[in-house]
Order: sequence, then structure tokens, then C-alpha cells
Amino acid sequence: MTLINVWQNILNGLAVGSVYAIFAVGYTLIFSILRIINFAHGAVFTVSAYFTYLLTGSAINTNGTLHKLFTDGFGAPALPIKLPFVIALLVGGLLAGLVGMLLDRIAFRPLRQRGADPLLTLVSSLGVAVAMVNLIQYFFGAEIYSYPANPFGNIPAAVNFGTADTPVPVRTIQVIIFFVAIVIVIFLTWLINSTKLGKALRAVSEDAVTASLLGINTDRIIMFTFFLSAFLGGISGTLVGVSVGVAGPYFGITYGLKGLAVIVLGGLGDIPGAIIGGIVLGLAEAFVPPQFVAFKEAVAFLILFLVLVIRPQGILGRAAVVKV
Amino acid sequence: MAEFYTTYGFLITSMVLAAAMALSLYLPLMAGQLSLASPGFYAIGGYIAAVLSTQVFHPGPGPYPLYLVLIEMLVAALVSAALAVLVGVPALRLRGIYLALATIAFVEILRILSLNLPILGGAVGIFGIPQPFNTQGEYIWLGLPLLLIAMVFIYRLERTRMGRAFYAIREDETAADAMGINPTATKVIAFTMGAVLAGVVGVIAAHFLNTWNARQGTFDSSINYLAYVLIGGSWTVFGPVVGGLLLTALPEILRGLASFRFILFGILIAVGAIFFPQGIITPELLSRFRRGRQPGRPASGGQQASQTHGPAK
Repeated sequence: MTLINVWQNILNGLAVGSVYAIFAVGYTLIFSILRIINFAHGAVFTVSAYFTYLLTGSAINTNGTLHKLFTDGFGAPALPIKLPFVIALLVGGLLAGLVGMLLDRIAFRPLRQRGADPLLTLVSSLGVAVAMVNLIQYFFGAEIYSYPANPFGNIPAAVNFGTADTPVPVRTIQVIIFFVAIVIVIFLTWLINSTKLGKALRAVSEDAVTASLLGINTDRIIMFTFFLSAFLGGISGTLVGVSVGVAGPYFGITYGLKGLAVIVLGGLGDIPGAIIGGIVLGLAEAFVPPQFVAFKEAVAFLILFLVLVIRPQGILGRAAVVKV
Repeated sequence: MAEFYTTYGFLITSMVLAAAMALSLYLPLMAGQLSLASPGFYAIGGYIAAVLSTQVFHPGPGPYPLYLVLIEMLVAALVSAALAVLVGVPALRLRGIYLALATIAFVEILRILSLNLPILGGAVGIFGIPQPFNTQGEYIWLGLPLLLIAMVFIYRLERTRMGRAFYAIREDETAADAMGINPTATKVIAFTMGAVLAGVVGVIAAHFLNTWNARQGTFDSSINYLAYVLIGGSWTVFGPVVGGLLLTALPEILRGLASFRFILFGILIAVGAIFFPQGIITPELLSRFRRGRQPGRPASGGQQASQTHGPAK
């Protein structure tokens, strides 16, 4: 492996890892508040990639029901708006956030109010995820969608930072991913550490009953957490969609499963841990030697299994004290 | 009746196999262990049947002999048991959702390995698995006895020292440990029993479906099995069976809705979890059913059953 390869791998690993990190922070936020895993997070990721696709004014294939609806309504199989990519990314994320709030109302809140076994939320959230994925299939068809060739306007898709002989191309989307990731980390740090809302969020995550006794509206905090979680899941879905294409209604499942490895690696419920875990997984995948590329997908699950067996509290976590 | 079975034999056999898979997830759950590893062992059983029947055994012309299927089941059971002990000893130190995540990782690693092992046919899988029967509906002769044996076995198990140890751990592992039960050994036994059942079901499924690939036994199916158990009822042997039968038939019942049926299926699973938090079949329901048949029985029998686990003694 040459030095150039190493740089290229680090760059690619950081880009993929940043997306994992954004996705996983959303995942782990829900766990930090509710101590459960939201198995619909992968479906939110998917749905948002489609939202952003629509908002950029891109066309729907003939197999999707929206094709006919839009053609009848607007005269073309696309929405009559064409938002710039960065705006569409943000609006798509906000829409995903609303989907997340709806998810809480349908799949989580009824069980919470009945005091049901937390395991049941695995089933109810997955039921909603199945419904969402099939709704996507109904509206958009099962095909692969690619964003238009130049979604960022008139800037080149990649810039070469090496020489002509030894190219180190940095793709524009990678720059956007880094930028978005940094903005999100700064925003989250501010939100959680310096606002009243963040304080309430930490209080609920520490002890929901005491928090509600102290006058915090826990149901609203939980709903906000779902919004924030789905917003982050949605942003990461769009970023993956625009860099490698939207590979059909099921493409969030892989991320949903790999995300589990990331949040366990960082320690379940640990936000800085999830960010580090995402970067670590991205880099680990980037450095899989080419002859073993078929096993690249297994890296996340190997990490998941080994971390659980060796250090279940995650890389940053402290060992849990078992109370009898 | 015969005509009905010609049409629905495939579905009915699928329902029976799904019920058996639900039991394979129920077995570790009896000892309080949420394991989602069943699809992994199911996939292994299927691959064992596929490889043995297409590449190792060559019984000659005519239908594939049933005794060879039984041999495949034996091999699958042994391999599943060995692997379950190997994976179970480190993994079962984990509790609750952590064990579930470890078993998801196990299933995914197996899936990616099976995609990349040349002997297993890569992404295409293994085709033309020989058939011991003329129609798919006849597989009920393998599936139903297996389901019944598994049900009787678990029903009896609930009344043995081992079964009581399972429930003790489900209720409170530390207390069970203090009472002289070895939690690790007991949990590994429960996990291994579930793995063996899943492996054997996989053997039948591979012949039944005629083809086997890495899409069999994935993460989706583990959550389906979990839905069977939790919506059916996770406190008696009948719950997972009823859940497996009903939820496998459901997409077929909804077939008239065409492309809406899986949307509705997902919603019904969510609604089922919300409205049947104890599952459809609860110990209370079973004891009420029993009291109805035996009017002389004192009413307190049912009360007692609702506090202990499993049907009334």
C-alpha cells in the first residue's frame, strides 16, 4: 500500500465514517432517553433520501404510483419545485423529523403509556418500518434512483489534490459531508450543553420519573428526541443517497444494522461515543484489503460481536454496576 | 378438502414451519434470553441439507429417500448444537438487548460468509434440491410431526427440573444462582435447544423450497419470529405456535389488497404489539379454558396460574 493509497483510504473512511456517525447519533439519542433501540431508524433514513430526491425536482419512475399522480397534477413526473441541494437536504431532514414524531405517536407512545414490556417496542417499531418501506415501494417503485449528475450546481464533482500521475481526488460530496458533520457536532454540543432544552433532555435521560416530578414534560422531550433523531437519520440518508444512489426501498436496512455496531462500539446511549464509533467503523472498512473486499460488510458485525463480548460498555463507557 | 389442500398445502406447510421457528426462539426466551440467532441456525440447516442432498448423497433415480432427509436432520442438529455452544458460552454472559444485538451480529456474519463460500453457490445459492415428495403440500408429513414433537417436548420440559430452572432464571437470574442453579450452563442449554430446532426446520425448508441461498434466514426473519412469539404470547408453548400460524397466514389473507398488503401487515404487527402486550395466548386464557371444561375445579387454580408461569398444574 503506497502513501497515496493510505491518504485516499483515510479520506474515504472519514467521509463514510462521518455519515455513520450522524446516523448513529440519532440512533443512540433514542437509546439514551428510552433505553430501547428504534428499529425503524433505518426506514427513516431511507424515506428522507426519497424526500430530498423529490425536493430537488427529480423524476419518478413509471413503476411508482407518484409517477401518475405527478404527471396528472403537474404535467411531469416530478414536483414543480427545484430546491438547491443544501436547502433540499435540510427540508428533507425536517420532514424526516416529522416522520420521527409520528413514529413515536404510533409505535412507542402507546406502549409507553401502557407500561408494556420494552421488548414489544422492537416489534412495534419494526412493524411500522415494514409499513414505511412498503409505502415507499408503493409510491416510488423498487428501482434504484440516482440524483441528477450535478446536484450542487456548477462546481466540479471532484478536485484532484495529488499530481496527474498520483491522483488524490476529493469529491465535492465528501467536502459537503465533512462540512455537514462538523456543523451537526457543533450544533448538538451547543444544544445539549448550553440550552434549557438540552438540560431537560439530559434530565430525562438520567431519570424520567424524577424529571417529570420536577416539572419537565417528559412526553414532549421524548417527542423532540424522536424529531432530532429522525432529522439526523434523514440527513445521513440523503448524504448516502446523493453519494452512491438510492438503492431501492430496502437500502436503509444495512445502515440500520451497521448502526447497531457503531452505537455499541461507542457505548449505547453515548453521543460522543457514537461519533467516534462511526469514524472508527468508516476507517476500518476503508482499510479492508482489496482481496477481502467481499467480506467488507462483515467488519461491522465482527466489531459488534467482539465489542459486546469483550467490552459491552463500549470504548468510552464505564462498566455498569450490577445492582442486586 | 383434498382440493382445498392442493390450493393451500404450500401455505399450511409454511405456517407449520413458521410455528416451529417461533418455538426455536421461545426456547431461549423461556430462560429469559432474547436471542435472535434462530435464522442463522435455520440457514445452516438449510445449507447442510442442500449440500448433502445435491453433492454428497447420490441415491439414484426416483424420489429422494426420506431416511436421507432424517440423516441430514441429524447432521444439522449436531452442527447447530456444536456451534450454539461455541457462540453461546461467550454471548450468553450478556443480558437483554445486548444479547439480541450479539445474535444479530452472528446472523449477519453467517450471511456474509455464506455469500462468499464457493461451495454454497454464492449469491445465487443452491438449486434443484431433490424432492422426497411429489407436491410441496406433502411436506406437512415432515413439518407437522416435528412441530408436535417440539410442542410436547417443551410442554413436558416446563414441568421438569430443567424447565423450572429456565423460569427461575427468567424471573431473577441472581436469585436462581443463589438457589443452586448454574445460570450459564442452563442458559446455554436453552439456547442450544432452540438452535437444534431451528437447524432441523432449515433442513425441511431447504427441500420444501427446492432452492437455498443467503436470503434465507436474515435479520427480517428474526424480527418476524420475535413478532410470532410476542404477539402469540411468550408465557406458554401455545403462544408462539398460534402467533406463527396466524401471522404467516396473514399476508395471504390480505392478498386481495395487492400492493397494500405488506403496508397493512406492518401496521397490524405494530397494532398487535400495542393491543396484545401479553400476547394472544396468555396463561390466564389457558386456565380459564381449562376451568370451563372442568367445572369442579376451584376457581383459585386459575388465580394461581396467573401468578406463576405456564399453564395451571
